[in-house]
Amino acid sequence: MTAPLIESDLAPGTGVPDPRPGRSRRQRADNITVAAFSAPSVIWYVVFTIGPMIAIFVISLLSWSGFLATPSWAGFDNYRRVFTDPVFWTAARNTVVQIAISLPVMIPLAFMLGYYVTLKPRFHRLLRVVLFTPALLSLSAMGTVFYAIFQPTGMVNSALETLGLDSWATPWLANPSTALFTVIVVGLWSGIGYTAILFSARMASVSTDIYEAAELDGCGHWKRMWSIGYPVIKDYFGVLTMLQFLWTVFASAGMVLLLTNGGPGNSSTTLSFLVYEKAFVQSQVGYSQAVGVILFAVGVVGLLTIRRAFRPSY
Amino acid sequence: MTTTTEARRPAAPPAARTNKTQRHSGRGRALVPAHVLAWLYALLLVIPLYYVVVSAFKTNGDIFAHPFALPTSISFDNFSTAWSRANLGTALANSVLITGTSAVLTLALAVPAAYGLARARGRLGTAVERLFSLGFLIPGFAALVPTVLLAIAVGLFQTRIFVILFMPATALPLSVILLTQFMRTVPPELEESATLDGASRWVVLRHIYLPIAMPGIATVTILNLLNFWNEYLFTLILGGPSPSVRTVQVALPTLVSQTSTDYGVLAAGTLVTLVPVYVAYILLSRQMEDALLQGAVKS
Repeated sequence: MTAPLIESDLAPGTGVPDPRPGRSRRQRADNITVAAFSAPSVIWYVVFTIGPMIAIFVISLLSWSGFLATPSWAGFDNYRRVFTDPVFWTAARNTVVQIAISLPVMIPLAFMLGYYVTLKPRFHRLLRVVLFTPALLSLSAMGTVFYAIFQPTGMVNSALETLGLDSWATPWLANPSTALFTVIVVGLWSGIGYTAILFSARMASVSTDIYEAAELDGCGHWKRMWSIGYPVIKDYFGVLTMLQFLWTVFASAGMVLLLTNGGPGNSSTTLSFLVYEKAFVQSQVGYSQAVGVILFAVGVVGLLTIRRAFRPSY
Repeated sequence: MTTTTEARRPAAPPAARTNKTQRHSGRGRALVPAHVLAWLYALLLVIPLYYVVVSAFKTNGDIFAHPFALPTSISFDNFSTAWSRANLGTALANSVLITGTSAVLTLALAVPAAYGLARARGRLGTAVERLFSLGFLIPGFAALVPTVLLAIAVGLFQTRIFVILFMPATALPLSVILLTQFMRTVPPELEESATLDGASRWVVLRHIYLPIAMPGIATVTILNLLNFWNEYLFTLILGGPSPSVRTVQVALPTLVSQTSTDYGVLAAGTLVTLVPVYVAYILLSRQMEDALLQGAVKS
């Protein structure tokens, strides 16, 4: 901004100081235009996103058994029930397991794969297309395909038999000790490739000079990747970690619903699936939204933690 | 150097030295383990898709006996079974209707807003922009239950109209912010001279801003069409399971309960829902990749 200080004083309180004096009337006209043009989309956004978001907090304080029932005030009863419910703690544990496995596996692997793609190895165009495909798949297509693949007679067990590993074959989705693991694997399957493409797009925008300098110094790829590539895009590392964190915490409900329906028992019930199940299957709307509020808090704390961890160190 | 960087990868010890002489750093022998791992993962990505394609043309007996073999004959029986069992014709029509109308509505809401924000100099503009940026942090799923209550309250629960009205809200933050960035590139002098010539704001928007923002509009539209087409949980709950209202994404998983393990039918049904997306990808691969990249990065 090259505008002299005196002139910006003429337009106090504006984000961008207008370099020409005597424009305060224009400012007001400007605000009216902004309001007029953006009003419809703001209204839409408030009605369908901000409003429902606030409503979660209110509903969590109501006793509401079913969508057509009349709610009554419950105070913190729902929270008390949530915290004494073993199912909630199972779901919380499953969500922690899901995050603790997904993120540390997915993000570093995607980063390394992204670095690899950035090197433009042979057939990298084909590789990009392949890595990209999961991003086009809908949740329901992915769920249907993997449901079939992990059935007792499905592709995975057939492949294990062909390889002579019959003893590994198991009803993946119906076995309490593999159900959650299977949901996590499907998330990794689809997540690594797309995240790698995102990483590679970002790394391609970093000047190649520093890599070349490092190469002349005799640095191998491992060192170039982690000692040069990583610090340069550390903030982006954080952004993608946050993105995957949000996806894992909130969006796993759909995949769990399609693959295991939370079962067997509650062995693959995650917190977000619990929100869904309590509201739409068990008609405990208040309870469901109390979990929703807790989930929201988990999301905020997680985001802040991740942002802190990946704050650029320069 | 060799000890620190390549010790973990005994397959390629002379890498550090050979690299210097190579023009393409991606072709060194140091990368052999990376080549192997990257293509192994690529193979893992492709195998399930291959399995779906070949299974769609095979009988269940064939699938069990030779899961990875190519079909011996091309039969479309699975497709017709899937089509009639899940009412895929109606579902496709519903998907097209909901996706298309929602995308148009999103543009109708986002384009004027982006224009207003792009030329804003005041506090209000900043505040509105901030409000929309906040949307990146709100995961859509969180508000599912209150949205259902809203639909019930206005008497539109399990109707296509509510889904069409609701969808744009999920796309507005990204659409508005992306379009605003494109429209910011319009030089203010251009607008001022047009205004002096007596052009109204709508004329300015249509003839100056829209053409410049066209690439942004294309990006936003591709992204929204893809997301609306693929949306599952919200269309399942808000639209409901009725065959006359549901989209393909809701119809497809119903095949699971109806056919249990008739994999051929499941695979054929899945292919039907994927074809429109992959045809679009083949035609617009560059644009779709750009759109998805921009869509993810903006947060």
